[in-house]
Amino acid sequence: MDYIILSVTLLAVGIYGLLTKRHLVKVLISIEIIAMAASMNFVLLASSANRALGEAFLVLAFSTDACVTAIVLALLVIVTKKYGTCDIRKLAEMERSADEEQPTLAAES
Amino acid sequence: MILELIAAGLVVSACLAIYLDEAVYSITSLACMFFLMAILYALNGAVFVAVFQLAVSAGTLAVLFLAGEMLSEKPEREKPLKKIFSVALLAAVFSLPSIFLSVAVTPANIFSGFSFADALWNLRVIDVILQGLVIMTVALGVAIVLHERKEGES
Repeated sequence: MDYIILSVTLLAVGIYGLLTKRHLVKVLISIEIIAMAASMNFVLLASSANRALGEAFLVLAFSTDACVTAIVLALLVIVTKKYGTCDIRKLAEMERSADEEQPTLAAES
Repeated sequence: MILELIAAGLVVSACLAIYLDEAVYSITSLACMFFLMAILYALNGAVFVAVFQLAVSAGTLAVLFLAGEMLSEKPEREKPLKKIFSVALLAAVFSLPSIFLSVAVTPANIFSGFSFADALWNLRVIDVILQGLVIMTVALGVAIVLHERKEGES
């Protein structure tokens, strides 16, 4: 049983989700999976080498991870309220069309 | 045997969390992944980390459930069960390399002989740096929210 390969597999699953999914909640879940893969690597290597430093580091990394999740969720709620969608491509299209409209308005005025 | 089953379960639940369209099912699958990860940590002797993992993941999942249910629309048509099973099977195949292959790892020559409490409380530099990082992240988040609110008002 090799935890490094397991961690790489989870990392690959997370990156696949990050690249292919359009819904922002799914993107957040992918980020969680990637963070989980990284922390698993840390904890299991540290505990197999009988070194508590890695475990202690991870306790603090968990709190950072929870902060990141909270901030991303706050941004997600703001974006959804402002634009009415959670779809990344639709959001990108909206931004593009807003950028195209701005020079036209400036030229008219 | 139990570690191999947990490894397969981890990969399958991660794949299903990404694949399933309905937010509630997806987050339930993520919850399974968190739970299996905590069991894996406990079985490998990292009991404190397993407990922290469970505590942090409980909060994360509660918030994710709320946000997922609030923000996601219902999919027009559900994915067929056959397709879901085939994704789970594929994920189980992906977990096979971690069960049967192995990579040689040489542990780095860093501090050893610390107990968990020593590592957590005596190495204050790491603690202070990481806590500072956490506070800075929270401050950044608050600043972003306040900026958005100010822009919305003007």
